[in-house]
Amino acid sequence: MLKLDVLNLAKRFGARKVFESINFSLTPGESIAIVGPNGSGKSTLLRLIIGLNIPTKGKVVFSDDGEPLEFDAYRRRLALVSPYLSLYGSLTGKENLRFFAKVNGDNISDQEIDSLLAQVGLQGRGEDFVSAYSSGMLQRLKYAVALAKNAEILMLDEPSANLDESGKEAVSDIIESRRKNSILIIATNEKEEYALAERQCQLGQ
Amino acid sequence: MPSGNVNWVSKVLAVTEKDIVSEFRTRYAINAILMFALVTLTVISFAVGAFSPTKEVMAALFWIILFFAAMSGLAQVFIKEEESGTALALKLASDGTVIFFGKLLFNLALLFALTVIVVPLFIILLKTEPANWLFFLYAILLGNIGLAGATTIIAAIVSKATIKGALFTVLSFPVLMPLLIAVIEITKSAFLGGVFKDIAAPMQLLVAYDVVMIILSYLLFDFVWRQ
Amino acid sequence: MIWKLLIFLAMSFVVVMAFVTPSPMNPANTLGPVDVYRIFYFHVPQSWVATLAFLMSMFFSIRFLQTRNMAFDIKAVTANRLGLMFAILATVTGSIFAKMTWGEFWNWSEIREVSIFILLIIYGAYFALRSALPDPDQRATLSAVLSIIFAVSAVFLIFILPRIYPSFSQHPTDSVVDKSGKLTMGGTVSLIFFTSLAVFTALFVWIYDLSIRLQNIYEKRLLEDK
Repeated sequence: MLKLDVLNLAKRFGARKVFESINFSLTPGESIAIVGPNGSGKSTLLRLIIGLNIPTKGKVVFSDDGEPLEFDAYRRRLALVSPYLSLYGSLTGKENLRFFAKVNGDNISDQEIDSLLAQVGLQGRGEDFVSAYSSGMLQRLKYAVALAKNAEILMLDEPSANLDESGKEAVSDIIESRRKNSILIIATNEKEEYALAERQCQLGQ
Repeated sequence: MPSGNVNWVSKVLAVTEKDIVSEFRTRYAINAILMFALVTLTVISFAVGAFSPTKEVMAALFWIILFFAAMSGLAQVFIKEEESGTALALKLASDGTVIFFGKLLFNLALLFALTVIVVPLFIILLKTEPANWLFFLYAILLGNIGLAGATTIIAAIVSKATIKGALFTVLSFPVLMPLLIAVIEITKSAFLGGVFKDIAAPMQLLVAYDVVMIILSYLLFDFVWRQ
Repeated sequence: MIWKLLIFLAMSFVVVMAFVTPSPMNPANTLGPVDVYRIFYFHVPQSWVATLAFLMSMFFSIRFLQTRNMAFDIKAVTANRLGLMFAILATVTGSIFAKMTWGEFWNWSEIREVSIFILLIIYGAYFALRSALPDPDQRATLSAVLSIIFAVSAVFLIFILPRIYPSFSQHPTDSVVDKSGKLTMGGTVSLIFFTSLAVFTALFVWIYDLSIRLQNIYEKRLLEDK
């Protein structure tokens, strides 16, 4: 079984300490909300967990049945939606979906693309260039890309950023549909989103 | 490293194709590179217009044009991804090696597009012509592979820095020194019309340089990319 | 403290002896004034230390990437800093010698001058990159990668440079050993030279050790205070 261990993690940018001694473990079905004010290091913690930043101290281990996984092995099983992650403005929504699926090793059919777009409420807009999308539509497309990956580790940084009411509903549907089989990590400072996860990890104290 | 139902080569080509499609739609890098090449070429044409420089000088001038034009555009492959925020999506979407070779192929395509335009202009404007086209072809082929092969990882390094454009040239120059020296020697021979014995040594060095730099970049790329 | 004293005494010995003994060069073979050749006692050890520092920083860069231990980054950057300092010293002493004997401070057809020029550019590029990266962990990784790439490209340069500057080199090559590898120096000259070599190396090691300890204290206090 997949498992994530965050062990005594600390990050420092020069003299500035972002956080220290962060500890938690998650298995599929479990969820955690990383909460804290702006600048408390929520996004930094997510990057450290993904392995795209080097911790000052401590470590992050993804393991499967006790076997530690290499970056490329758990990367395939991980999806992220974040304000720091963007999609290609010079490609259409469909081209984005097709590209990300292909470089990840999957051929995705047109029906699958259509159903993904419908799931995030972007039906009929798949042929438009992403540069012409509104920020809410872009956020929806990010969910479609994350869903296409069929990931067991779902990381959401500010999950409902830029979304309207129907978008927020679509997101909570997605989260509920994935909750049982996924490790869910949500970084947020919205009070009502704390409830999306069972546990909390408070930063910035 | 095949995985899923798409093989490794198709993944690499998907990255290159994506960049080429984007490039055709936005003309982000090619315009800068071509304009830079044209400007340098014009300046050189004016400068040498009054007198006729030797073939040796011509060979050096040719590579100065290519070097500086390449410096203005090759870093874009990663800077663009980093600045638009798509780098993070790409890092999660595929293995570092796929990205590296995809970007390397795109930079190569960019360089060959540049050469195809610069070579005829150089010949017309500077009224010179290689005496040995085969040697000239060798120089361009191996030179371009080396330029792209050695600087793709530098582009990835520079894309994380707070200053990017100027830094790319500063970091690339010491790395490209051996390449430029060897390739200019072959080009000299091409302009003067030598025999293969003259260029055997720089050819060997150039082939070794291209292979070593690409393998080295491939080995080190993950350290840079996973940041 | 004892090291500081020893280095001081040995350095004084070298400086005094370099000027009171006869010039290391046989006056019959000189190009310029024979006294200029005394610079050899300083220039060669400085070049040697610059090379040593360069190799050390390559080694520590590789070790850093293997272990991700920040201590290796501190070692690599300290070696590079001192390497830059000694490379500048060697360039200056070399230039003075060049001016006095060959009439020019700088000569592009001299392979060693070109090499040290490239070495200075490499150091410059290394520090330019470091100053453009705010995150220390990222800075350590990326500059280590760059160091390794530079080292490999320097190996290619060693092969290619003699090709373009094949025969015409005025730089004395037989000042320490002759072509068959035998020592060319007489007793006094060799005593001063090897003392100088040792004392410059000791000076480098002493400053290097001091900087590392200083950095470590600084790092430790950062971790404790905030």
